[in-house]
Amino acid sequence: MEDEILRLKSEAHVALADLGKDDLEPFRVKYLGRKGLFTSMMRQLGQASAEDRPRLGKLANDIKQELAQAFAAKQDALGGGQQGVSAVPSLDLTLTGRSEPCGRPHPVTQVMEEVCGIFEGLGFTVAEGPDVETDFYNFEALNIPPHHPARDMHDTFYVSDSLLLRTHTSPMQIRTMTEQEPPLRMIAPGKVYRCDSDITHTPMFHQVEGFLVDRKVSFADLKGVLSVFIAKMFDADTAIRFRPSFFPFTEPSAEVDIGCVICAGKGCRVCKQTGWLEILGAGMIDPAVFAKIGYDPDQYSGFAFGLGIERIAMLKYGITDIRLYYENDLRFLSQF
Amino acid sequence: MKFTLNWLKQYIDCAELTPAQLADRLTMAGLEVDAVEPLCHDIDEIVVARVESVSRHPNADRLTICQVTAGEGDSRQVVCGAPNVRAGLVTAIALPGVTMPGGFKIKPAKLRGEKSDGMLCSAKELGIGDDQGGILELPEDLPIGQSLVEALSLKDIMIEVDLTPNRADCASVLGTAREVGGFIGKKVTPPVTGELPKLSGTDLPFAVEVLDNVHCPRYAARLIKDVKIGTSPWWLKRLLLAVGLRPINNVVDVTNLVMLEYGQPLHAFDFNKLAGGKIVVRKAKAGEKIVTLDDVERELDLETLVICDADKPAAVAGVMGGSASQVDDRTVDILLESAYFEPVGIRRAARRLNMGTDSSYRFERGVDPEGIPFALERAVRLITETAGGTVVAGGVDLCATLPQPVELSLRVQRTSELLGMEFTADGICALLNGIDVPARKQDEATVIVQVPTFRVDLEREVDLVEEVARLHGYNEIPTTLPIVPMSFPEDDQARSLRKRLTTLLTGMGCYEAINYSFVNPRHFDMLGLSEDDPHRQVVPLLNPLSEDQSVMRSHLLPGLLENLRRNINHQQTDVRLFEIGKVFHHRDLDTQPQEVMELAVVMSGRRHPGAPRLHDGEALVDIYDGKGMVAAILADLRLSEVVTIEADSSSPAYAVGQSSLRVVSNGKMVGRIVRLEPKVLKKFGVKQETYFVSLDLVALVGLTAAPKVFASLPKFPSVQWDIALLVADQVGAGEMLAAITEHGDSLIEKAEIFDVYRGKNIEAGQKSVAIAVTYRAEDRTLDDETVNGVHKKIIKMMQTRFDARLRDA
Repeated sequence: MEDEILRLKSEAHVALADLGKDDLEPFRVKYLGRKGLFTSMMRQLGQASAEDRPRLGKLANDIKQELAQAFAAKQDALGGGQQGVSAVPSLDLTLTGRSEPCGRPHPVTQVMEEVCGIFEGLGFTVAEGPDVETDFYNFEALNIPPHHPARDMHDTFYVSDSLLLRTHTSPMQIRTMTEQEPPLRMIAPGKVYRCDSDITHTPMFHQVEGFLVDRKVSFADLKGVLSVFIAKMFDADTAIRFRPSFFPFTEPSAEVDIGCVICAGKGCRVCKQTGWLEILGAGMIDPAVFAKIGYDPDQYSGFAFGLGIERIAMLKYGITDIRLYYENDLRFLSQF
Repeated sequence: MKFTLNWLKQYIDCAELTPAQLADRLTMAGLEVDAVEPLCHDIDEIVVARVESVSRHPNADRLTICQVTAGEGDSRQVVCGAPNVRAGLVTAIALPGVTMPGGFKIKPAKLRGEKSDGMLCSAKELGIGDDQGGILELPEDLPIGQSLVEALSLKDIMIEVDLTPNRADCASVLGTAREVGGFIGKKVTPPVTGELPKLSGTDLPFAVEVLDNVHCPRYAARLIKDVKIGTSPWWLKRLLLAVGLRPINNVVDVTNLVMLEYGQPLHAFDFNKLAGGKIVVRKAKAGEKIVTLDDVERELDLETLVICDADKPAAVAGVMGGSASQVDDRTVDILLESAYFEPVGIRRAARRLNMGTDSSYRFERGVDPEGIPFALERAVRLITETAGGTVVAGGVDLCATLPQPVELSLRVQRTSELLGMEFTADGICALLNGIDVPARKQDEATVIVQVPTFRVDLEREVDLVEEVARLHGYNEIPTTLPIVPMSFPEDDQARSLRKRLTTLLTGMGCYEAINYSFVNPRHFDMLGLSEDDPHRQVVPLLNPLSEDQSVMRSHLLPGLLENLRRNINHQQTDVRLFEIGKVFHHRDLDTQPQEVMELAVVMSGRRHPGAPRLHDGEALVDIYDGKGMVAAILADLRLSEVVTIEADSSSPAYAVGQSSLRVVSNGKMVGRIVRLEPKVLKKFGVKQETYFVSLDLVALVGLTAAPKVFASLPKFPSVQWDIALLVADQVGAGEMLAAITEHGDSLIEKAEIFDVYRGKNIEAGQKSVAIAVTYRAEDRTLDDETVNGVHKKIIKMMQTRFDARLRDA
């Protein structure tokens, strides 16, 4: 069999030497093609004895390689061969492709847009307000008078006696309601500020506040809208629970928990073994807020809700340290 | 608010609930449980022991050799270092083989040559208290050898509730028990019931005078004589320790216990230290001072309510007592105060003095004005029980205008509408009565509610609607979608622009950054801004967290430079970051600042960050990347016609003068493209060449984009003729190009510079500019002669306008 291989070798090289341009392809098919002589030779190697087989295999292979190179050289010499001659890699296709990689929006922006998108789909308008707010819009109009213990829930940065950095985007409720008549559906995304800084708090973070006001809007409607939101934002079968809480500008007030997305409700460090994660604050708009604006609480009712974007992004992406958001390290930003 | 399960069970039988179930029910009733923990961990093997005799350690001054019994027939030698060890002391021992909380295993040992067979333990070592001053001192009647957990009833569960500010009534174990009663259908058993002793009397050995009954509408006090101050009994200490309070003495501990039990803060004065045997409740006078129990001297202002004796303040009302009248070891007679202080006044005082206490927490949320005599009676009984003494008959209970119990009417239909499900008057009554809020049906449509004084949060109909929802269970309320008229949200152009820019810039390889809105004011000096630069007109914060974050930013660049430094320090030197955010411009002190949305980009390192080096080489970013970026943005926004980019002769200090462009619209600058000055970069810790692009988005939103209008496609071919011209170096090739495109001949379709060359074969001070001009006619195929005609005109124009010479082929 060895003789057979060597014979084929010299035959091929002789044929190659006399090759004209038009003979290139027939030569390739005859010797190097998928059904060519070298391939069928390789197949026959199966018949050789077990001890000879590796040696003969290598010999045949080397000869085929050598011939392929010689063929490529001949092809070049004759002024280029044919496209699709795959036996000879004239292009190294293992090299990286040429590209102009894109950057990414910040993960906070990504989640913010996702949240806004869901509510826009439900017909909510998006509105933004000033970061430096008046005490009136941030607190008073929202039923948080000076010296109310609820102010303890908001560690506030002050700019002057009457100006502060908004502690929530809820002032947009007031700004909108004073300018427009119901029915109203609106969300207010934006930066908010609290003077608090540790591993779970940054002094600036992002919130989306939303509200809906019309005749006969009920707590059941609030539950419905937020359930739709959670199903879209997380998963259609995410467990949801509503539990009583307190916000001065809503009554009844609720915290909304979802089944822990980390441990699927079994209990873990993130959900403090409860199986639940708090993600939203909500409630029916307090009549005292309507009174400040001049709406008749017996005619109109509505609900409001607010959620923290960083927290949702942390849950969705498994981010463990909130401070990473504002270091803008490319190793972080490029992950999302 | 912390309490233990066994403590709660003193007032309500809730044995049917496991601790986990109880926690869940409380949470779902709006009392969010933060923690449910066994009171003590890993001390099941510790036993009660008695020290029979002690002797000095021969080799160590501070050590004592003790003979200890830890059970019947047991006798062992233990070396102990505690100062309070003495013969006869009953304490706790960890025997050899026992593992302490924290994992330390006790073994027989020799301490300085003396055998020690076990360890006597302090409260701290066992994790049942903070006291590490000595070993545990236990009641002498405890059975020796018994498990400590059993002997001290330590088998208990600590529950911590995160109270919302409205639920003042639940800042007490009794109030929490009442809530539990609501959901298990039982009533609480308070420790004091029935008729209370009358608090009046004419021959009292003390007097109380309330000069400000607006801020102190109720003040009750009683005198107990001949008490014996000492440490509290273990059961009392245990309850305080369990909730994190430090036991002090039997009288103070009782007042604390009753505060936790009833939610009514009490104060005990050493009566003999009150000048004139008198209490005066008034506002502080100018210049008055008090040393409070924490040993801090505090200046009082005229707004602060104080409890005084005949001469001077003895306590800051509702906040903290004074050390001069505090109960200590030598106290014999005590005056016990139970009062109602007006919430806002207490809150202000606590804020001004910067001292939030367990007491002020409760007063500022509102205590139960009718609970005052009950809490007082409970404390009197407990004090006489634990400290002995004689209660002086009668007392003082001065009442002015107190918050009155309110009667509210609740419309059944309104409740149903607001909650989105049908309720009945009977159903509502049952729910409210379950938590001791008396409610009766007036008719099918109305429920009349007698709000008890402990529920300070129930003031309006809607508050009752919340109670109904809460008691019924939020999760039992149906889930529906609102039926609202269809409407079409209006477009917010600023938001659309931001979204578009984010898409464009990320497409150009930039990552979005978000930085804090507050920055370090030193940034302006680091940027080299002049003293009168408008960016220095910043909005400072009154209470910043640090100097680094003390003013609202007026510029986006510093934040991005800090991000750049951080990335370079972490070996990422090819950086393209952008931020779209607000900057703040000061107007005047009480006016909201002007908030302007801007875009800023920094580019540094390789031109194609993240692209394979193999293909795109190592080329670094330069000014044309910035210019091209802005041009591409303007083209995308269809603003190229109204916004231009031009050289900037008055570039800012942070820019390299020759590499500074401005973006202009209608003569107004709306952006910059600059190479940053290396000295400025160095101040921010950046050593590599960096470019900065900024755009004023408010200005861009105001511009009108070119409309999209169809033009028919050309039917005839174009021809391209090249020109190579020699011009002086300072001639702007872009201006030459503009001259051609603006030439006005209808045959010129476009022109493009394809080469600029200086050097070999070109005279010094000159450059060669090669321009390809494309000609096309709408209605015919152009012949050479016609093109040549126009081409010559162009060359001629170049020669006259730019002093250009045709370069020889």
